[in-house]
Amino acid sequence: MTLTLRQNKRSSTLPTIRRRKLTAFEFVNLVVLFAIVAACIYPFVYILAVSLSDGTAVNAGKVALIPEGFNLETYKYVLTNERLGILRSLLNSLLYTAVGVAFSVTITYLTAYPLSKARLGGAGAIVMLFLVTWVFDAGIVPTYVINSQLGFVNNWLAMVIPFGFSTFLLLIAITFLRNIPVELEESALIDGANDLQTMWRIYLPLSRPLLGTIGIFYAVQIWNAFLVPLIYLQEKTLAPIQLVLYRLLLNTDTNATSFQQITMGGHQLVPQNIAAVTMIFAIVPILAFYPYAQRYFQQGILVGAIKG
Amino acid sequence: MTTLESKPIAPPAAPARGRRRGKRSLLRNKWLYLMLVPGLIHLVVFKIAPVAALVIAFKNFSPFLGLWGSPWVGLQQFQAIFNDPQIPGLVVNTLILAVGTLIFSFPAPIIFALFLNEVRFTVARKFIQTMSFVPYLISSAVLVSILYTLLSPQGGLVNEIIKDFGGQPISFLTDPDWFRPLYIGLNVWQTFGYGTIIYLAAMTAIDPSLYEAAEMDGVGRFGKMRYVTLPALVPMMVVMLILALGQVLTVDVDKILLMYNPNTYATADVLQTYVYRLAFASEGFPKYSYAAAVSLLQGIVAFVLVLGTNRITKRLTGSGLF
Repeated sequence: MTLTLRQNKRSSTLPTIRRRKLTAFEFVNLVVLFAIVAACIYPFVYILAVSLSDGTAVNAGKVALIPEGFNLETYKYVLTNERLGILRSLLNSLLYTAVGVAFSVTITYLTAYPLSKARLGGAGAIVMLFLVTWVFDAGIVPTYVINSQLGFVNNWLAMVIPFGFSTFLLLIAITFLRNIPVELEESALIDGANDLQTMWRIYLPLSRPLLGTIGIFYAVQIWNAFLVPLIYLQEKTLAPIQLVLYRLLLNTDTNATSFQQITMGGHQLVPQNIAAVTMIFAIVPILAFYPYAQRYFQQGILVGAIKG
Repeated sequence: MTTLESKPIAPPAAPARGRRRGKRSLLRNKWLYLMLVPGLIHLVVFKIAPVAALVIAFKNFSPFLGLWGSPWVGLQQFQAIFNDPQIPGLVVNTLILAVGTLIFSFPAPIIFALFLNEVRFTVARKFIQTMSFVPYLISSAVLVSILYTLLSPQGGLVNEIIKDFGGQPISFLTDPDWFRPLYIGLNVWQTFGYGTIIYLAAMTAIDPSLYEAAEMDGVGRFGKMRYVTLPALVPMMVVMLILALGQVLTVDVDKILLMYNPNTYATADVLQTYVYRLAFASEGFPKYSYAAAVSLLQGIVAFVLVLGTNRITKRLTGSGLF
């Protein structure tokens, strides 16, 4: 410890090391990296510009970075025109995600807690069962056969229950709970608390980072889900926003095809405008949580990767 | 989401010493066992029962007769796979897309992380890393929609640029020749930020004295990247490669369903999308049993591939997953 401190001090007294000029390599490296990042982010900026532009300018290919003929009419149209079903799908997605995260985090935590206890007989066998079913996934068809018999077809709970318990996140939760010092539990048990009280009063307050991590993972998973609603939620009123986006993409949605050009507030609206607004709606909730999500995501990814 | 679980992390079950002890433990731990109930029900109903339902691959399943009432047909469905003229093309498409994705998506984060690691300014490094991770969180539906908008022949930016240079607009999304590059490119865009996080974390674990030693030996910047950083990443690369190879028969079915259309089936249709169409989007009666047989066979081959690559990498590098 003292050694490293001394070393740090010494290097700080040597300004030549710190204030070294930017070398040619570093300059080129930075430029290239920033260019890659710009290429990653640009498509989102473009969509934002399209969503705010006049339809004629979009069709003429004049929109590249800055909105042409700036207006909010498309947003107004999408939010007020119920026939399009976009507003409804947005509310659906919010509902599915909120209920889904509550369900998934609860069941994951409740299962992980006992499985993290070494004294529990049979815990190892149960974890093994989870692992086996995880590695050997049955595939979409047998899963559908079971879920359809349980009534999950055209039932919004299909977005919550059948796929709402991830083995990956269960393992992360078990690992986290194992790392909480066992003395805390022992002293609580000596004080006469039962396991439920220990879990609720001692472990839960300490598990906030864990709940954040698995909550974010589940939220992104449910919000972005595509194949599950495509298979299970055929009824249009149940569609989440990702599915509506897909239908706009295919233009199979009758309301979207009948819709060619509309004038609102002196601005032309074209299908690209509508699609761009829908994309923005599908992105914004994720980006709103992004700074928070990224930290937890990194932790989750690293726990998952390093354990190997 | 995948992880690299190699061994069950739970300890072996407590040694059973007679029935009375087991009964006492059950009573003492009653709250713990109660907490397990919802998770166990979920495990049995939604994870184990579908595996049991795989029996439909050996039956001629009809929803009216139910899972157990449908007649057994033995291996008839599997024989049909080998007589299905569609299958060889689907296997080829699956392999090309999966191997292509592996070739580009596997090294991209390594190279990116190597160069990002050379950036001295913490703020810039954090910013670049943060931004590169954004596409990973965005749904495939949005990413494909963005692609459609950018590449649209009517007012899409890319075609406008082509026209500005005097070229003919290309309808990228209905051209089978463009499907593979677009799919692979989209995949790299979506996933390289994720891999970068993992490799950057592995780099922070490198002992700085190795770099100092290399400097003393007069090794330059690229030399250090080549002889210090890269070798330190090998264990992580092996892990990632095994995971990726295990996926070699699986593609991102969401993305393909979103991107493909009958015009591009020649290059875009893969085993999983075929299974999807057989069961959920076919005209006429859905072929559940045949679809289940195709995906079961694919699952078995993939499983063998994971075990095989694990064994090979273990022999070559001394480190594997299992």
